[in-house]
Formats: sequence, C-alpha cells, structure tokens
Amino acid sequence: MALLSISEPGKSKPPAHAVRKRAVGIDLGTTNSLVAVANEGHAHTLCDHAGHCLVPSVVHFAKDGAVIVGDAARNHGANDAANTISSVKRLMGRGIEDIDYDLPYEIVPDPQGGMPLVRTAAGDKSPVEISAQILRELVSRAESELGGSIDGAVITVPAYFDEAQRQATKDAARLAGINVLRLLGEPTAAAVAYGLDRKKEETVIIYDLGGGTFDVSLMRLEQGVFKVLATGGDAALGGDDIDRLVGQWILEQAGIGESLSYSLRNALAAVARDAKHTLTAAGSAEITFEHWTGTLTRREFDGIVDAVIDKTIKACRRVLRDARMTVDEIADVVMVGGSTRTPRVRERVAEFFGSPVHTEIDPDKVVAIGAALQADVLAGNKYGDEILLLDVIPLSLGIETMGGLMEKIIPRNTTIPVARAQQFTTYKDGQTAMSLHVMQGERELVADCRSLARFELKGIPPMVAGAAVIEVMFQVDADGLMEVQAKELSTGISSSVVIKPSYGLAEKDIERMITDSFASAASDKAARALQESRVEAQRIIEALESALAADGRQLLDESEYAALTDGMEKLARLIDSDDADAIHAAAEALNEASLVFAGRRMDSQIKTALTGHKIQEYD
Amino acid sequence: MPRTFQVDAAELESRYKQLQAAWHPDRFTVADDSKRLQALQKTSLVNDAYVTLKSPLKRAAHLLALQGVDAEEHNQAHFGADFLYRQMILREQLEALGEQEDMAGLDAMKAEVSSETNAALEEFEALYGQGQFSEAKQRYNRLQFLFKLLDEIDAVEENLLDY
Repeated sequence: MALLSISEPGKSKPPAHAVRKRAVGIDLGTTNSLVAVANEGHAHTLCDHAGHCLVPSVVHFAKDGAVIVGDAARNHGANDAANTISSVKRLMGRGIEDIDYDLPYEIVPDPQGGMPLVRTAAGDKSPVEISAQILRELVSRAESELGGSIDGAVITVPAYFDEAQRQATKDAARLAGINVLRLLGEPTAAAVAYGLDRKKEETVIIYDLGGGTFDVSLMRLEQGVFKVLATGGDAALGGDDIDRLVGQWILEQAGIGESLSYSLRNALAAVARDAKHTLTAAGSAEITFEHWTGTLTRREFDGIVDAVIDKTIKACRRVLRDARMTVDEIADVVMVGGSTRTPRVRERVAEFFGSPVHTEIDPDKVVAIGAALQADVLAGNKYGDEILLLDVIPLSLGIETMGGLMEKIIPRNTTIPVARAQQFTTYKDGQTAMSLHVMQGERELVADCRSLARFELKGIPPMVAGAAVIEVMFQVDADGLMEVQAKELSTGISSSVVIKPSYGLAEKDIERMITDSFASAASDKAARALQESRVEAQRIIEALESALAADGRQLLDESEYAALTDGMEKLARLIDSDDADAIHAAAEALNEASLVFAGRRMDSQIKTALTGHKIQEYD
Repeated sequence: MPRTFQVDAAELESRYKQLQAAWHPDRFTVADDSKRLQALQKTSLVNDAYVTLKSPLKRAAHLLALQGVDAEEHNQAHFGADFLYRQMILREQLEALGEQEDMAGLDAMKAEVSSETNAALEEFEALYGQGQFSEAKQRYNRLQFLFKLLDEIDAVEENLLDY
C-alpha cells in the first residue's frame, strides 16, 4: 500500500554518535528560512557575505539541472515564475485536492497518490525534495561557517502541523542527509530563545503572527520542565491579510475596481506592504498606486489591522479556555513572526494579556535561535541545567469505527510521547480480517477528519461476531510522529506499521475542523445517533439471519418464522431512512420478538452439548 | 504516589516532572536503540499515569480496576429510575438554557451539577475506603453521567461566549 511503509517499531532513527558535537537549529519557514548555531548557551544566526541571515525559501530549477536556492532564486521569480518555487511548506503533507489557491507554478498529481508534484524545467519535483534543497543550502552555510560537517539538527515545525506535515518535514531532512535530533514546535523554540531561568515558575504565551499563519501556545515552566499546556491558532491568518486589507483600502480610495491583472495585483500587494513597513515607525505613509496618490495615517491603518488582531485575540481566548486559565495567570508574552513588528499588534496583545510583550529578540530569528540552543543540548553537549521541553499533539488522533464515525483515542493537547490502546471486536461471524483507518481531527464524522492511513489486519481466527478482540495501540513519539500497532488478543497476531501519510486537508481545514467541531456538536450528535442506530439495526439483522439459517426451521413454527422475517424486512427498509428513532424502535421490536427464538436456541445448544457425555460425568 | 482517592496535586506535579526529566527521549538522543525505545515507552507510560491520576473520574476507574472491579460494566437498572429521570430533565434544561442564551441560568446549573458531582466524589471516596467496591462502582457510574453533563454545560457556555 502506497500510504504505508512498514518497519520495526522504535528502530526508525539512525544511531547517534558520542563525542563533542556540532549541531544547528533550523527554522524552515514558508517565506524565509534560517540556520543558527549555539555554543555554551549563546546562539546566533548564520549570515552570508552580504550580511543576509534570512534565506528566502525559494528554489529555482533550470533546464540544465542547475538548482539555486535563496536570494538568487527569488530574483528569477520575475522572469521565470514557472520554475521558481516558493512557499513549498504549504504543500508539505498535503494532497493536490487541498491546493485550492493560485500558485505561480504548475502542480500535477502524484501517480502514487502522494503529495502534488511541482512541474519544473528539470522535471517533476516533490515538496519533500524541494524542501530538502532549502535544507541543504542552510546546512552548507553552517558547514562553511563552522568549518566542518554537522552532526545533527533541531528543525522547527508550526505547533499546528499534523502528523503528515511533520513526517514530510522529517523526510526532507533525511533526504538532505541531516540527522534530526528533534522536530520542535516553533513556539517552544521561541520560548527557549528567551533563555528562561530554570528556577523560575511561570506561565507564558507565545504569540506568533507570521506572513500567512497565526499560532498561539500557552506554556508552563516549572522545575526545569517547559510544558505546552494548549496550542491553537489560525492556519490562514497573517501579515498577508493585513496587506490585502490595506490593498482594498487603496482600491476604495483610488476608485479602482477589484478585478486586477496578476501583475497589478502583485504591484498592489507590494505597495501595501511598503506602507505597512513605513507605518511601523512613522505616523503616516504616502502611497502611490497607478494614477492615485494619497496618505494612510497610523490611525486609519490601526483600524484596518484591528480586524486581523481581533481574530488572533479570539484564538488566544480559546487557548486560555482549553487550559482552564485566565489572563491574570500569564506572566509574559513572547512575540514571534515578522507581523508582530506592527506597533498596533504589540499594543493590543499587551492590553489583552495585561502583561509586557517581549520583542527584544528579532521576531524573525527567535525560533532559529531557540532551536540552536536546544540542538546544542540534544547533541550531547551537556551543561547540567538543561530545560526539558514537552510538546503536545495539536489534533486528536483516532480511528474509524462502524458507520463512518471517528473514535478519538488520543485527544488534542495531550503531552507527547504518548501511547494509548483501544479494543475493537469483530462484527460478523467468521470475520478473518479487519481494516483500520487512522484519522486526525476534531469532528465526529470520518468524512470531516483527515485520513492518515489505512491498513489491514489479516489472519484473525474465525470466531462468532464479537469474540475476537483487536487491540489497537497508537504510539506518538516526541517528534509527534505516529506508529500504530494492532494485535488480536486471543492469539497475539500483531501487525505494526509506521504511518506515512501522503495526502490530506489544507491547513485552513485544520482550523476549520477545530472550530466546526464546536459549532456543529449538535448536528454531529444527531448524525452520530443515526449512524449508531443503523449499525445496531444491521447487526441485529445479520445475527438473526445467521441464526434463522442455522436452526430457524427446526425451532420455530411457520407463523413465528414469518413474524421474524417480516420484522427483519421492515427494519431493513427503515435502515436507509434518516429517522434514527424509527430505526431504533424497529430494531428494539425485532430484538424483543426474537427473544423466544433465542431462548429455544440456547436450550437446544445446551442439549446438544450434553448429548454424548456419559451421565456419571455430571453426578 | 500513595494508592488513595485523594491525590496531592503538588506532589503529583513534582513526581511527574522528576520522571519526565529522568526518562524523556531528549535525554537519550545519543544512546543506543534499545535505550531509546525504553525511554519512549517509559515516558508514554508516565504521561498516561499523570493523566489518569489528575482526572478524578479516571482515577476512580483505575482504583476500581485495582480491586478487580470492571467499572464500565453496568445496565440501566443499576442507576435507579430516579437518577436517570433527573439526568434526562437536566439535559432538557441545558438545551433550553442554550436556546434562551441564559448565561445566569447556565452558571446556576453548573454550580448545582458541580456540587452534586463533589458530593458523589466524596461518597465514592468514603465507600471505596470502606471496601464497599460494588457501591463505589455505582457512584462511579453516576459520576460518568455528571462529568459528561459538565462537559456539555461547558460546550453550551463556550458556544454562547463565542469561543
């Protein structure tokens, strides 16, 4: 099966080495990436000769096979957009059906059903390969600066990244020949960068507003353990939205309609972005777009930005609620991401939490710096006062059960590593195989969650329905990667897989899945009741059918037999209706009607069991 | 940790952190495969134990399991008609409060169900302490209803507060 790769549990990591290590921290971003290195608890980002530390996450593929990464690649964007690949992070761990927005380059489906492939002059490239190119560039920058090869890296991922996205990131690192010491949540890395004193006990908020995503995490530091208590955000909200709103404001002021050509739209976005940057320090910005010239004041700009900030504040309230905490309990707020340079953002966030916001470390570099500090420790360079970082899984993990329902096995915000087992029974007499469908999401219906993998457990010994018990064990490691094992308990038949999902929902769907699960709790419940009544009805019909076929004619008279088959037909007709109560009532009635038959079967089976034994055995 | 229903929250936190610090896979990045697998399994177990001990409901189920009592096995009659009837009324009341967007009513209901829950928790503790496990199990099964109801109250509240 294309979705799965089977390996022995716990053996997927290469062995590590044991002498003094060179390790780096890598922030693999959507727009820009960075690499940083730490020594004796101090970290700095590595820059090129021109003093540029940010490496644009852009890769250019030329016809002759030459690959360029970073600033040079971005400069190709204008004249060779089709071969200049940007924002590849948004394709990681996603399926082609999730990409419902315009890209300046062409993507095509993967024949194996995995992530979409990017069509370039140098051939079709997977998002994992392209990310690996960026990682190689960062590593070579580090190696030339450090004068030797590196032993390992901590790579950061957004806290909301699901299993498929984390797996894709780790695969890219492996492809680039990097020994991954840990996939670390971006907010966790940012918190580490602020060099928290291990003797301190406090609760902090990490507020991360990037170009296209918003991420908020609530963390508690105690006894040298830094634990994520809750995480949330909006995977489709960021500085780009501010630019878009400023652009709309310009169009309104200039009296220009909203339908613009691609190049004009890009020009508008650039003008809007410039105005935003100007307003970071100045009280007003002069704007020229096409034939219009005007002034955007800080006050007007703040009004525009508030629409975006309001959404982030809402996500902050949600995270506080999830952790059952109030703003009074928050000691510090750490600001991450370029969009937190906007003064209005800092002002509103400080006001909401009633505590100072930390902006001392460059919000573009803070994640890489934290990752470098942790990489230095994880590589084995111990200083004796290491802080332990405990991450959580951002979305619930579960399994599909009968009737398209999602059974949650590990709820979101559970600290990792974690292992949970759940038991399932066979549904039909003589059933010898069971297929398992692993899901991630918050909704009750499978159709609304993200499919991670399917696999089949074969060779279950044939028994009556319900007699074979299958235990499914989910193991999530410290990187947030999952392994699923299934075992038939009476015989110990086991099947173990490392889940390698290759397609799924768009990032905005993750956010939608969480908010919807709440809004639609009621409709989910009704849908669930309906599905359950159908499953129940189906089971009664099948059990009765097999019993009637076995000894119905011997044990029942004509009218009794007919009454049961009538009841069965009536129920079968109702199953397809949407009336859960009617299905349930008919199923109950049929169950009731079959009690006499069940009683006679039991008597008859006891008689059969006793026949053939000698009387004295029972004396 | 002592095997009692009352758990010292500070001690639980402290023990949890000690065990995490000793066994987290981050402490074994340079160890061999078997040591790393052991670290993964140990910390998974520690995380699970922590979640179990922190939740009064899971703690109760675990204490019953330690006595060989299957806490999940029960039938309708086991609860008593009065209890089930009251649960039904409470759920209808909750639905009505949600529709009327009655925050004050919701707060009052939450307080009422919380105090009922606390009373049932105390009863469980006393019965369990006296070795009356079958009675304790009945309290546990009632607590399942009550905790679920509290979750539902929270969900309605969050909906009204637009979280």
